[in-house]
Amino acid sequence: MAATIRLSVPGTLRYRDLAVRIVAEAARLVSRSAQRAPNDPLDHDVRDPFDTAVVSAFMEIFNNVAIHAYQRKGGGSIEIAITPAERELVIEVKDHGHPFDIDEVPPLPEVHADALPEGGMGIHIAKTMLDEVTYEPGPPNLWRLCKRLPGGARASTCV
Amino acid sequence: MPVPAFEVQRSSNSTTLTVRGSLDINTAAQLGDEIDRLVVDRPKLVIVDLSALDLIDSSGVAALVKLYKGVRSTGGNVTISGARDQPLAIFKLLRMDKVFNL
Repeated sequence: MAATIRLSVPGTLRYRDLAVRIVAEAARLVSRSAQRAPNDPLDHDVRDPFDTAVVSAFMEIFNNVAIHAYQRKGGGSIEIAITPAERELVIEVKDHGHPFDIDEVPPLPEVHADALPEGGMGIHIAKTMLDEVTYEPGPPNLWRLCKRLPGGARASTCV
Repeated sequence: MPVPAFEVQRSSNSTTLTVRGSLDINTAAQLGDEIDRLVVDRPKLVIVDLSALDLIDSSGVAALVKLYKGVRSTGGNVTISGARDQPLAIFKLLRMDKVFNL
Protein backbone atom coordinates (compact mmCIF):
# COMPACT_ATOMS: atom_id res chain seq x y z
CA MET A 1 0.00 0.00 0.00
CA ALA A 2 1.29 3.45 -0.89
CA ALA A 3 2.23 5.77 1.95
CA THR A 4 0.19 8.93 2.43
CA ILE A 5 1.72 12.32 3.22
CA ARG A 6 -0.58 14.43 5.36
CA LEU A 7 -0.40 18.20 5.65
CA SER A 8 -2.73 20.60 7.42
CA VAL A 9 -2.39 24.33 6.77
CA PRO A 10 -4.51 27.34 7.74
CA GLY A 11 -7.11 28.05 5.07
CA THR A 12 -5.54 31.18 3.66
CA LEU A 13 -3.52 31.94 0.56
CA ARG A 14 -0.48 32.69 2.72
CA TYR A 15 0.17 28.95 3.00
CA ARG A 16 -0.45 28.18 -0.65
CA ASP A 17 3.18 28.23 -1.78
CA LEU A 18 4.20 25.90 1.02
CA ALA A 19 1.55 23.38 0.05
CA VAL A 20 2.37 23.73 -3.65
CA ARG A 21 6.04 22.96 -3.02
CA ILE A 22 5.20 19.79 -1.14
CA VAL A 23 2.77 18.67 -3.83
CA ALA A 24 5.39 19.39 -6.50
CA GLU A 25 7.90 17.21 -4.67
CA ALA A 26 5.32 14.42 -4.32
CA ALA A 27 4.62 14.64 -8.06
CA ARG A 28 8.34 14.30 -8.72
CA LEU A 29 8.40 11.11 -6.66
CA VAL A 30 5.95 9.59 -9.12
CA SER A 31 7.32 11.09 -12.34
CA ARG A 32 10.90 10.62 -11.15
CA SER A 33 11.69 13.98 -12.68
CA ALA A 34 13.68 15.20 -9.69
CA GLN A 35 17.19 15.91 -10.88
CA ARG A 36 18.26 18.45 -8.30
CA ALA A 37 21.37 17.94 -6.28
CA PRO A 38 20.41 16.94 -2.73
CA ASN A 39 21.35 20.30 -1.23
CA ASP A 40 19.70 22.48 -3.85
CA PRO A 41 16.82 24.54 -2.48
CA LEU A 42 13.30 23.61 -3.51
CA ASP A 43 12.28 25.77 -6.41
CA HIS A 44 9.18 26.51 -8.38
CA ASP A 45 10.47 25.30 -11.69
CA VAL A 46 8.10 22.68 -13.06
CA ARG A 47 9.02 21.10 -16.40
CA ASP A 48 7.81 17.50 -16.51
CA PRO A 49 4.28 17.18 -18.00
CA PHE A 50 3.07 15.05 -15.07
CA ASP A 51 4.41 17.54 -12.51
CA THR A 52 2.95 20.39 -14.56
CA ALA A 53 -0.51 18.84 -14.53
CA VAL A 54 -0.48 18.05 -10.82
CA VAL A 55 0.90 21.40 -9.69
CA SER A 56 -1.34 23.42 -12.02
CA ALA A 57 -4.47 21.65 -10.84
CA PHE A 58 -3.56 21.73 -7.17
CA MET A 59 -2.88 25.47 -7.26
CA GLU A 60 -6.36 26.08 -8.64
CA ILE A 61 -8.06 23.85 -6.07
CA PHE A 62 -6.17 25.48 -3.19
CA ASN A 63 -7.16 28.90 -4.54
CA ASN A 64 -10.76 27.75 -4.78
CA VAL A 65 -10.84 26.54 -1.18
CA ALA A 66 -9.23 29.71 0.21
CA ILE A 67 -11.50 31.98 -1.83
CA HIS A 68 -14.83 30.15 -1.93
CA ALA A 69 -14.85 27.84 1.07
CA TYR A 70 -13.12 30.23 3.46
CA GLN A 71 -14.02 33.41 1.53
CA ARG A 72 -10.49 34.83 1.94
CA LYS A 73 -11.06 35.06 5.69
CA GLY A 74 -9.34 31.87 6.77
CA GLY A 75 -10.72 30.61 10.03
CA GLY A 76 -10.34 26.95 9.17
CA SER A 77 -7.81 24.49 7.95
CA ILE A 78 -7.05 22.86 4.65
CA GLU A 79 -6.19 19.22 5.14
CA ILE A 80 -4.20 17.71 2.32
CA ALA A 81 -3.52 13.99 1.91
CA ILE A 82 -1.05 13.13 -0.84
CA THR A 83 -0.61 9.51 -1.90
CA PRO A 84 2.17 8.91 -4.41
CA ALA A 85 1.92 5.45 -5.92
CA GLU A 86 3.97 3.62 -8.53
CA ARG A 87 2.37 5.29 -11.53
CA GLU A 88 -0.20 7.71 -10.17
CA LEU A 89 -0.73 10.40 -7.58
CA VAL A 90 -3.88 10.95 -5.54
CA ILE A 91 -4.45 14.17 -3.61
CA GLU A 92 -7.38 14.75 -1.30
CA VAL A 93 -8.10 18.31 -0.17
CA LYS A 94 -10.53 18.71 2.69
CA ASP A 95 -11.95 21.94 4.13
CA HIS A 96 -14.60 22.92 6.64
CA GLY A 97 -15.82 26.06 4.88
CA HIS A 98 -18.71 26.89 2.62
CA PRO A 99 -19.56 24.25 0.01
CA PHE A 100 -18.87 25.04 -3.64
CA ASP A 101 -21.30 24.31 -6.45
CA ILE A 102 -19.07 22.69 -9.04
CA ASP A 103 -22.03 22.25 -11.39
CA GLU A 104 -22.36 26.03 -11.70
CA VAL A 105 -18.91 26.35 -13.26
CA PRO A 106 -19.54 27.22 -16.91
CA PRO A 107 -17.52 25.59 -19.66
CA LEU A 108 -14.62 27.60 -21.01
CA PRO A 109 -16.03 29.97 -23.63
CA GLU A 110 -14.70 30.16 -27.15
CA VAL A 111 -11.42 32.03 -27.01
CA HIS A 112 -10.40 34.64 -29.54
CA ALA A 113 -8.60 37.96 -29.46
CA ASP A 114 -11.70 40.02 -28.76
CA ALA A 115 -13.20 37.68 -26.18
CA LEU A 116 -10.63 36.46 -23.71
CA PRO A 117 -11.95 35.24 -20.36
CA GLU A 118 -10.72 36.90 -17.16
CA GLY A 119 -12.28 34.38 -14.78
CA GLY A 120 -13.78 30.94 -14.47
CA MET A 121 -10.62 29.23 -15.71
CA GLY A 122 -9.41 27.52 -12.54
CA ILE A 123 -11.69 24.51 -12.37
CA HIS A 124 -11.38 24.08 -16.12
CA ILE A 125 -7.59 23.90 -15.74
CA ALA A 126 -7.86 21.32 -12.96
CA LYS A 127 -10.37 19.12 -14.78
CA THR A 128 -8.46 19.21 -18.04
CA MET A 129 -5.04 18.56 -16.53
CA LEU A 130 -6.02 15.58 -14.39
CA ASP A 131 -7.58 12.17 -14.93
CA GLU A 132 -10.02 12.68 -12.10
CA VAL A 133 -11.43 15.67 -10.24
CA THR A 134 -14.32 14.97 -7.93
CA TYR A 135 -15.93 17.14 -5.30
CA GLU A 136 -18.17 16.15 -2.43
CA PRO A 137 -19.81 19.06 -0.63
CA GLY A 138 -19.70 18.79 3.12
CA PRO A 139 -19.00 19.63 5.71
CA PRO A 140 -16.29 18.71 5.35
CA ASN A 141 -15.94 19.49 1.66
CA LEU A 142 -13.70 17.07 -0.14
CA TRP A 143 -11.82 17.43 -3.41
CA ARG A 144 -10.23 14.30 -4.82
CA LEU A 145 -7.60 14.73 -7.52
CA CYS A 146 -5.94 11.90 -9.41
CA LYS A 147 -3.29 11.86 -12.09
CA ARG A 148 -1.83 8.80 -13.83
CA LEU A 149 1.42 8.59 -15.67
CA PRO A 150 0.97 7.80 -19.37
CA GLY A 151 0.37 4.10 -19.70
CA GLY A 152 -1.05 4.36 -16.19
CA ALA A 153 -1.50 2.00 -13.32
CA ARG A 154 -3.22 -1.26 -14.17
CA ALA A 155 -5.19 -1.13 -10.94
CA SER A 156 -5.67 2.62 -10.96
CA THR A 157 -7.62 4.34 -8.21
CA CYS A 158 -8.51 7.19 -10.58
CA VAL A 159 -12.19 7.11 -11.46
CA MET B 1 3.19 37.32 0.83
CA PRO B 2 5.51 36.62 -2.11
CA VAL B 3 6.93 39.67 -3.83
CA PRO B 4 6.04 39.74 -7.53
CA ALA B 5 9.12 39.95 -9.66
CA PHE B 6 8.31 42.15 -12.58
CA GLU B 7 10.00 45.04 -14.29
CA VAL B 8 8.80 47.66 -16.75
CA GLN B 9 11.18 49.26 -19.23
CA ARG B 10 9.94 52.06 -21.48
CA SER B 11 11.54 53.11 -24.74
CA SER B 12 10.38 55.44 -27.49
CA ASN B 13 8.92 52.56 -29.51
CA SER B 14 7.70 50.07 -26.97
CA THR B 15 7.23 49.11 -23.35
CA THR B 16 8.68 45.84 -22.12
CA LEU B 17 7.15 44.05 -19.13
CA THR B 18 9.32 41.27 -17.75
CA VAL B 19 7.70 38.83 -15.31
CA ARG B 20 9.77 36.38 -13.26
CA GLY B 21 9.06 33.56 -10.84
CA SER B 22 5.42 32.82 -10.09
CA LEU B 23 2.51 34.89 -11.37
CA ASP B 24 -0.37 33.69 -9.26
CA ILE B 25 -3.22 34.64 -6.98
CA ASN B 26 -0.78 36.05 -4.44
CA THR B 27 1.19 38.18 -6.89
CA ALA B 28 -1.23 39.01 -9.71
CA ALA B 29 -2.91 41.87 -7.82
CA GLN B 30 0.36 43.74 -7.50
CA LEU B 31 1.09 43.21 -11.17
CA GLY B 32 -2.45 44.46 -11.82
CA ASP B 33 -1.59 47.79 -10.21
CA GLU B 34 1.44 48.07 -12.48
CA ILE B 35 -0.73 47.18 -15.48
CA ASP B 36 -3.17 49.97 -14.58
CA ARG B 37 -0.32 52.49 -14.60
CA LEU B 38 1.06 51.05 -17.82
CA VAL B 39 -2.26 51.22 -19.70
CA VAL B 40 -2.77 54.87 -18.73
CA ASP B 41 0.33 55.72 -20.81
CA ARG B 42 -1.47 54.39 -23.93
CA PRO B 43 1.58 52.48 -25.20
CA LYS B 44 1.67 51.56 -28.88
CA LEU B 45 3.40 48.25 -28.23
CA VAL B 46 3.84 46.25 -25.04
CA ILE B 47 6.24 43.31 -25.12
CA VAL B 48 5.65 40.85 -22.28
CA ASP B 49 8.74 38.74 -21.63
CA LEU B 50 7.81 35.50 -19.83
CA SER B 51 11.11 33.68 -20.38
CA ALA B 52 11.85 33.81 -16.64
CA LEU B 53 8.31 32.90 -15.56
CA ASP B 54 8.25 29.51 -13.83
CA LEU B 55 4.61 29.14 -12.76
CA ILE B 56 1.28 30.75 -13.56
CA ASP B 57 -2.26 30.13 -12.36
CA SER B 58 -5.62 31.35 -13.60
CA SER B 59 -5.26 34.61 -11.64
CA GLY B 60 -1.96 35.25 -13.37
CA VAL B 61 -3.52 34.53 -16.75
CA ALA B 62 -6.34 36.94 -15.89
CA ALA B 63 -3.80 39.68 -15.13
CA LEU B 64 -2.17 39.23 -18.54
CA VAL B 65 -5.58 39.18 -20.24
CA LYS B 66 -6.38 42.45 -18.46
CA LEU B 67 -3.16 43.93 -19.85
CA TYR B 68 -3.94 42.64 -23.34
CA LYS B 69 -7.45 44.08 -23.33
CA GLY B 70 -6.39 47.38 -21.76
CA VAL B 71 -3.62 48.09 -24.24
CA ARG B 72 -5.71 47.06 -27.24
CA SER B 73 -8.61 49.23 -26.05
CA THR B 74 -6.40 52.28 -26.49
CA GLY B 75 -5.20 51.23 -29.94
CA GLY B 76 -1.99 49.52 -28.89
CA ASN B 77 -0.77 45.99 -29.33
CA VAL B 78 0.65 43.33 -27.00
CA THR B 79 3.23 40.70 -27.84
CA ILE B 80 3.91 37.89 -25.40
CA SER B 81 7.18 36.06 -25.79
CA GLY B 82 9.29 33.44 -24.08
CA ALA B 83 6.55 31.38 -22.39
CA ARG B 84 7.86 27.89 -21.60
CA ASP B 85 7.11 24.80 -19.52
CA GLN B 86 4.14 25.13 -17.12
CA PRO B 87 3.04 28.63 -18.24
CA LEU B 88 3.09 27.57 -21.90
CA ALA B 89 1.07 24.45 -21.05
CA ILE B 90 -1.55 26.62 -19.34
CA PHE B 91 -1.81 29.03 -22.28
CA LYS B 92 -2.23 26.06 -24.64
CA LEU B 93 -4.85 24.44 -22.42
CA LEU B 94 -6.83 27.71 -22.35
CA ARG B 95 -6.37 28.00 -26.13
CA MET B 96 -4.72 31.39 -25.69
CA ASP B 97 -1.45 30.34 -27.31
CA LYS B 98 -2.73 31.23 -30.76
CA VAL B 99 -4.15 34.57 -29.61
CA PHE B 100 -0.82 35.47 -28.07
CA ASN B 101 1.21 33.85 -30.90
CA LEU B 102 3.13 31.64 -28.48
